[in-house]
Amino acid sequence: MRTDIRFFLNGQPRRVRDVAPHRTVLDWLRLEGLTAAKEGCAEGDCGSCSILLGIPKATGEQLAWRVVTSCILMLPQLDGTSVVTSEGLGVSVESTDSMHPAQRLLAETHGTQCGYCSPGFAVALAALSRTKERDGESIMDMIAGNLCRCTGYRPILEAARALPFIEAPPKETAMATALVTDCAEPLDYKAGGRRFTAPRTLESALAVLDEHPDAWILAGGTDLGLRLTKHHEEPECVLSLVRVPELHGISRSEGETVIGAAVSYTDALETITDLAPSFGDMIRRIGAAQIRAMGTIGGNIGTASPIGDSLPPMMALDAVVEIASRRGRRTIPMHAFVTGYRKTVLEPGEIIAALRIPTPPTDRLIRIYKIARRYDQDISAVSAAFALDVADGRVTRARVSFGGVADRPLRATAVEDALTGRDWSLETVRAAAPAILQSISPIDDARGSAAYRNAVCVNLLERLWWETAGPDDVPHSLDALGDAA
Amino acid sequence: MTGPTNPASETSARLGAALAHDSAFKHASGEAVFLDDMPEPRGCLHAHLVLSTWAHARVTEIDVAPALARPGIHGAVTFADIPGVNNIAEAPFEEPLLPDALAEYIGHPLAAIAGETPALARRGAERVRIGGDPLPAITTLREAYERQHWLKDPVEMKRGTPETALARAPIVLDGELEVGGQDHFYLETQVALAMPQEDRDMMVWSSTQHPSEVQHVVARLLGVPQNAVTVEVRRMGGAFGGKESQATLIAGIAAILARKTRRPVKLRLDRDTDMIVTGKRHDFLLRWKVGVEPDGRILAVDMDLAAGCGWSVDLSPAVISRALSHADNAYFYPHVRLRGLACKTHTQSNTAFRGFGGPQGMIGGEAMMDQIARTLKIDPLEVRRRNFYRPGTERDLTPYHQRVEHFRLPDMVERLVASSDYAARRRAADAFNASSPVIRKGLALSPVKFGISFNKTHLNQAGALVHVYTDGSIRLNHGGTEMGQGLYIKVAQVVAEVFSVPPEQVKITATTTDKVPNTSATAASSGSDLNGMAALRAAETIKGRLRDFAAERFDVAPDEIVFDNGMVRAGNYSVTFAELVEMAYVARISLSSTGYYRTPDIHFDLKTMQGSPFYYYAHGVAVSEVAIDTLTGEWKPLRTDILHDVGTPLNPAVDLGQIEGGFIQGLGWLTMEELVRDADGRLLTHAPSTYKIPTGRDLPSDFRVEILADAPNDVATVFRSKAVGEPPLMLAISVWLALRDAVASLAPEGYVSHLHAPATPERILNAVTAARAAADG
Repeated sequence: MRTDIRFFLNGQPRRVRDVAPHRTVLDWLRLEGLTAAKEGCAEGDCGSCSILLGIPKATGEQLAWRVVTSCILMLPQLDGTSVVTSEGLGVSVESTDSMHPAQRLLAETHGTQCGYCSPGFAVALAALSRTKERDGESIMDMIAGNLCRCTGYRPILEAARALPFIEAPPKETAMATALVTDCAEPLDYKAGGRRFTAPRTLESALAVLDEHPDAWILAGGTDLGLRLTKHHEEPECVLSLVRVPELHGISRSEGETVIGAAVSYTDALETITDLAPSFGDMIRRIGAAQIRAMGTIGGNIGTASPIGDSLPPMMALDAVVEIASRRGRRTIPMHAFVTGYRKTVLEPGEIIAALRIPTPPTDRLIRIYKIARRYDQDISAVSAAFALDVADGRVTRARVSFGGVADRPLRATAVEDALTGRDWSLETVRAAAPAILQSISPIDDARGSAAYRNAVCVNLLERLWWETAGPDDVPHSLDALGDAA
Repeated sequence: MTGPTNPASETSARLGAALAHDSAFKHASGEAVFLDDMPEPRGCLHAHLVLSTWAHARVTEIDVAPALARPGIHGAVTFADIPGVNNIAEAPFEEPLLPDALAEYIGHPLAAIAGETPALARRGAERVRIGGDPLPAITTLREAYERQHWLKDPVEMKRGTPETALARAPIVLDGELEVGGQDHFYLETQVALAMPQEDRDMMVWSSTQHPSEVQHVVARLLGVPQNAVTVEVRRMGGAFGGKESQATLIAGIAAILARKTRRPVKLRLDRDTDMIVTGKRHDFLLRWKVGVEPDGRILAVDMDLAAGCGWSVDLSPAVISRALSHADNAYFYPHVRLRGLACKTHTQSNTAFRGFGGPQGMIGGEAMMDQIARTLKIDPLEVRRRNFYRPGTERDLTPYHQRVEHFRLPDMVERLVASSDYAARRRAADAFNASSPVIRKGLALSPVKFGISFNKTHLNQAGALVHVYTDGSIRLNHGGTEMGQGLYIKVAQVVAEVFSVPPEQVKITATTTDKVPNTSATAASSGSDLNGMAALRAAETIKGRLRDFAAERFDVAPDEIVFDNGMVRAGNYSVTFAELVEMAYVARISLSSTGYYRTPDIHFDLKTMQGSPFYYYAHGVAVSEVAIDTLTGEWKPLRTDILHDVGTPLNPAVDLGQIEGGFIQGLGWLTMEELVRDADGRLLTHAPSTYKIPTGRDLPSDFRVEILADAPNDVATVFRSKAVGEPPLMLAISVWLALRDAVASLAPEGYVSHLHAPATPERILNAVTAARAAADG
């Protein structure tokens, strides 16, 4: 077992001991004198603390670069990665003036005003510079996790559009190889009487869980991080699943797709988009790039929040949750997994291993809707997932589920019954309204009133009708309207 | 009157050049040092606040002993520990730094604890025992308004005989509008570091727009003369008004703890604490009666402007004064009465925020225009045109009795109507709406006329200090602060222009109270007008000495001395600027000067609310098009065209940044930024997870911003430039009006939408439902 945290920091190898494992990366960096990353919110929502993590790819010869929010990362999460802060961006490319093109462009386009958010933007843009294929949407996706209160973003977008593609410098291969070699042994880190352990097999992970039933189970840590920074909890033991290979795979067969619980949103996006493009669009609206790089599908399911965005679509797609423990494996349908407010069927010693999603027929109408105050990086007021089979104008099978409207995400079988066997018509849609209202029990909160949520759930079924059966000479959604006025 | 005109040609590398912000490259690299990035002094302690959990209560006990008993805790402060006077308000008002008896909002700081780390201080603060008896609380503006719970007496701005005129008007319309508040959401939260010095002096680094006020308040709290306290600020990570008066709370607590512990103390609020503790943009409730002719021309206006002030006075009277003086916007009200009502609520004490009440008053005027146009079935643009001020006629007098001169809006409106293709797009939107069941489009134009100068006349003064060293390098200091708005580079460009040297030759330095004293806040968009002129005068003084010296040395007339691109020519002689400076030094010529400026020709009587408070007006026009989803209330900005008047820009890139950034901030205020409280008055939206400011995707996909060309200020401002900080924020009213327009498309002509602000998806859906009901009923 390895007892020190090993990573590269702006190109230099670092080994850390004796720092409490729940120290956030941001706090640690700033105490080290690297103050470019700044605290704006301590909840991963503003991007001012953004840094880059280079994670060795499976081949071990390249780094996959991810922009992450350092404010909600625990220091041991850096283990085995190459960390680059804004101070180190210039070093990461061949540069004459120690500046990265992203930084130079930000300054030249007048993309900085107060400058507080700028290092975070520089990091996000540097990540973008490694992407060859870009369009307006992917640029927007990459900066949506960075808030700027001064510029109004136009110059920052201009900098992003002007950004050249930058190839990985050869030294990255050496770095990737060194990380794989140096960190071959599993990390079991202890400092200040606290432990952070990252086993390399499912079996050993489950053994830790038996030993420490109260351990924080960490995959991406985007939710756990808030327990540190907002609730000021200090865990005795953190069990990281990040290095458990059994939880990382994505496998696709004709009848089924299996997504490992520790697969990040970013890594799952392509597979999910193939399964149902509308679900992919929803994934792209979970958090922002920083959160999606760390946050995992299994974590989203396991957190079992009423506004967990992937749960309603998983229900509508008839997904099954695969659960592992030392007692073996079992499966449970997604819609039966959550039993109450942030409560699940998981027993002590159990973790989510994977999501199994049956391949839907190609002509199934699948639409996933997320309604929030802001398009990007917002939590749903309401979400809805519909999967309908329509044959000869008649609904032959329906799956309907909602989020944000009860103490848990729920499947609305009453609505499914109200649709099945009926004409796919506005009349049917309107006749289903009472069933929708019976199925849900929303509350008033900061994101919307109960009345609004009721109205929107009813209306989203109508939107589904317009989008799938309405006249196609006018747009029926803002997305369909396109960018041009 | 005359003044300096812009001598810069288009090729000038100084004045009028689109230079990058002086710190732009340092911002991007991360080298720019913000207060919390400074290396902490030896022994530095960190403070944490103890907050009231009651909206209103009599505090009976504040026991800090359990906190002090913890390891790593070194001090505590309550009202009882303040060595000087426990008052952070400007006379005649009183606002305790820490209350001795009453907690007046959830989040009211009652004590603070200093510990060796932020985490230890937090744990310590959690141990402080607070006892108290809850009292009845008023936590909403509407309740305070209806119960006449005033913080100070109502004020009235009046001209003519509105009562009679309303009684005689052929058409009288009633209206009401709720306008929400707004959190500043500067990315850098409030922070101060206080370090005790010899002789009970105190050095304070404060993230503040108003170092002089912080200095004066800290001196008062510590019971020392003002000359014992120095306050410095190099840059802020955004401020927007939030770091004007409210910075005194943070710096004051840090300073007292520093005095008590004899150690440096830093107080940096985390995001949640910042939003829970500090004041915001005032929410307003507007109620009016407006009398109109059938052609849409206004005859008389009677409007109540009720401001949600929060628990203390802070800057509320001045905010209300500016709200009243902008409720007319660009329109002539023949008879008018505007009543300003300072409503006291048991919530955060609301404060300055970009526009300073102006936006809340202005949106009232614009809502009235919208209502008149819809009710009378006249195009809203036409109604606006008919009500514009007409300088040189009897229709040129504002409600505060200042004459409107140099009014650029009618011309600017026609230009933008043409360049934005308004008429054709109006028809296209109507045609689209006629056949679109779910998505509806809206289009609107709105103008902005914004008065420049502090309403309080005495604040319109500034000082600067310029040194020239013997190698010709220049060091510049002035009373203005840098919060991202580009003030430092603009003033440096002014000084470089005076000496005709490259701007890089001018060293920009931190604002500090020991270089330029008794400064005003960098606020009211006045930063470059005031400090630019003061710096210009300081530089001109030195230049005058150099010119006289050169004339004597080279034996030519002073007016034959030319400063030209780093060279100085005197007849047939030519020397570099640095050579001349060195010669002047040897000849014992002073190379340092202060400069001082006060805005001329302004006066305002706060009692009668009459006078000529504004030196001039800044103008802007925007046309915005939006689309709404009538099933969910979601919306999207499609296109915005802006034409904005900045006079002759000192730096067009910086000014463009203010226009675009101000517009988007206004868009956030009017559409997505919502301050939600629970029934007890507890703020529920205190972090970006719940309080949503615009992201990159929220700007119009087609965004065309133009600075009005060849438009030097008609009055003698610094190189004929105009202030630009606040006015563009109000251009976003066009977006809100476009949303109303989209909603109106669902109802029969003549229907007025009651969409309030912010127009969140929920409010839009409610407005849609109401409009559809009107169509059905």
